[in-house]
Amino acid sequence: MNSGPTIFLGLFATMACSWTGFVLAPQLQLGGLAQTNTVVVGDALSQTYPLAQPGEASAGAEVYRANGCASCHTQMVRPGNLGSDLQRGWGLRRSLAEDYLFEPRVLLGSQRVGPDLANFARRSDLKAVLMRLYNPRLIIHDSLMPPHRFLFETRKIGFFPSTNALVLPDKDAPPDGYEVVPRPEARALAAYLLSLRQDGYLFESPPPQSLWPKTNAVPKKAAAK
Amino acid sequence: MSAMVFPAPKPAPAPPPWQQPGAKDSCPAGILMLLAGAALWLLAASLCGLAVSLKFHAPGFLASEGYLTYGRLRAAQNAAFLYGFGVPSAVGLGLWFFCRLGRATVAGPVVVAIGATLWHGAVALGVAAILCGKTTGFDYFEMPVWCARVLMLAFLLLGVCALLTFHQRDPGPLYPSQWFVVGSLFWFPWIFSTAVLVLLVVPERGALQALTAWWYAYNFDNVFLGFTGLASAFYFIPKLIGRPLHSHYLAALAFWTLALFGSCGGIPNGAPLPSWIISLAVVGTVLTAVPLLAVAANFYQTVYKDLNAMDADPALRFTYVGLIFWLIAGAQQIAGALPQVSALTDFTWFGAAQKELFHYGFFALTVFGALYYIVPRLLGLENSAWRPKLLKIHFYSSFLGVLICYVALLVTGLEQGILLASPGNSFTDVLRRTMFPLRMSTLGDLLVAGGACIFLLNLAGVLSKACCRCRAERKERA
Repeated sequence: MNSGPTIFLGLFATMACSWTGFVLAPQLQLGGLAQTNTVVVGDALSQTYPLAQPGEASAGAEVYRANGCASCHTQMVRPGNLGSDLQRGWGLRRSLAEDYLFEPRVLLGSQRVGPDLANFARRSDLKAVLMRLYNPRLIIHDSLMPPHRFLFETRKIGFFPSTNALVLPDKDAPPDGYEVVPRPEARALAAYLLSLRQDGYLFESPPPQSLWPKTNAVPKKAAAK
Repeated sequence: MSAMVFPAPKPAPAPPPWQQPGAKDSCPAGILMLLAGAALWLLAASLCGLAVSLKFHAPGFLASEGYLTYGRLRAAQNAAFLYGFGVPSAVGLGLWFFCRLGRATVAGPVVVAIGATLWHGAVALGVAAILCGKTTGFDYFEMPVWCARVLMLAFLLLGVCALLTFHQRDPGPLYPSQWFVVGSLFWFPWIFSTAVLVLLVVPERGALQALTAWWYAYNFDNVFLGFTGLASAFYFIPKLIGRPLHSHYLAALAFWTLALFGSCGGIPNGAPLPSWIISLAVVGTVLTAVPLLAVAANFYQTVYKDLNAMDADPALRFTYVGLIFWLIAGAQQIAGALPQVSALTDFTWFGAAQKELFHYGFFALTVFGALYYIVPRLLGLENSAWRPKLLKIHFYSSFLGVLICYVALLVTGLEQGILLASPGNSFTDVLRRTMFPLRMSTLGDLLVAGGACIFLLNLAGVLSKACCRCRAERKERA
């Protein structure tokens, strides 16, 4: 322990262990992950999974990143033996590595100051998302989420009122002759949030037993043919 | 033959490093720039922390403009603490330890000064960029890619100078602090360049990005910041109580096991990754009990007869408390990695409490302790240059601030974890019920920010004293 080179080599070896275990080996295993097919449930057909985000959602992912949304929201559903994520209806199944294949930047987060968003699209719609972004307390009375009014514009009503204008209660309504419309960032962010769904059952996370066929006999319809 | 009759006199054994008079600290400008800049950044980080904390009282506070929204301010706080305070103070302390323990002078003082300027300038631009929405979004790694490149360049300048300084040391056995500093100075560029490469330059696909970000954050805390703080503890505690370190073997054990196990972990149980990765992380985290126990035993054996020597020196008091916080934070990290516990505590304020204790408790307090000793010596002044009243206020406000913050966040985290375990409690309801302890943490943040402010005041006083003396000396010469 008294020569510089010994310490350097020892450090390099320990670093290499950690690097191999957490950077190299996972890359070798998951780096080539590809689109796959969902497991067949009931009469549904198998589908390609995951699908790439639509363009507006990709733009919204940038807004999500820029405003540090991931510091309060995770995007991963834990398996049933860890926590109550599944019982809360935050997802149909646990999250898998495949779910993030097409995200340009994967921000899973590390704390839940707000709820998990992995399947946000399954429980919200455009109007509610925009209202929430404008003033979260309009939807949940004592929400801790900060309002994101800087994503909206209060402007004078033109020849026709905008079809995108928010319908706000009196307390938050703009002055007469004005309307609140989402800026492009807000619309993109909403599109992104409404693209978040992890609902394809995959081989690693098969559907719950309640969705399995009751027997393994050939379905009657198929047998008749 | 003659050699046998008249054996050459053995050179007298060199006194152990804690008894050696310090080598003359020459050309402190670079080190001072690193350390004083770090202290400024700590104030910036704790003010951001205070603002972030206030948003839990009124979510609408400072929310009208994008650049002060919660997510950006939180990222700015992280960046200011980790890159503004953490890295420069690690490099500054490292350089000073190399000079002091190796009886060397700083190699390339001009390059160090350039590196320090470049580093602090890049952090300032990076924090501004984060507030403007250019963050990468990864926790601990918020700086945009151009800023990360400049940071890497600045670190290389500083690191090469530090290694050259280390190389110029007097021959003789190395002291544990020197191993720890060498470790931290190599660890940072390794993990940082890996993260820059696979997260920003050639991004990995899918969930691998999250894995690398978690691995980076874990390494940054446990190995990089951990090594720096421990280097300081291993130097100052034996030196200031005037007894030799109990065992160098235990110190070596702590060093190697912390490098080996402290670098494997940080992946939440239940992450969307193959389970072998998660198991590896849990095993690594649990095994950090070895360095924890080795350090605790070593220091206990060193100090147990002189526990009341805590008041001997301000540096000692800060270092003691910092070390105890390190032990608590480490124990909590191990507990939080166990699947049975993490099922409750993952993603709650439990983890935030641990980080608060590790950063503002262990790391910041240890660095403060070191600064109280180092800064007067860099400037050719005595300990008495510090104003004792401010020093005392600083100690109690940072200590109590961290403690209040930690306990408040820990209670919030545990309560949330237990309540969320039963799906009957709605998420909003749980948040509402745990609001009180969460809001208590603002008091802690206020005290921490006040402490950083008082430290800066005291530091400014010492610097102005040094300037006055310098001017007087120049006049005398003229």
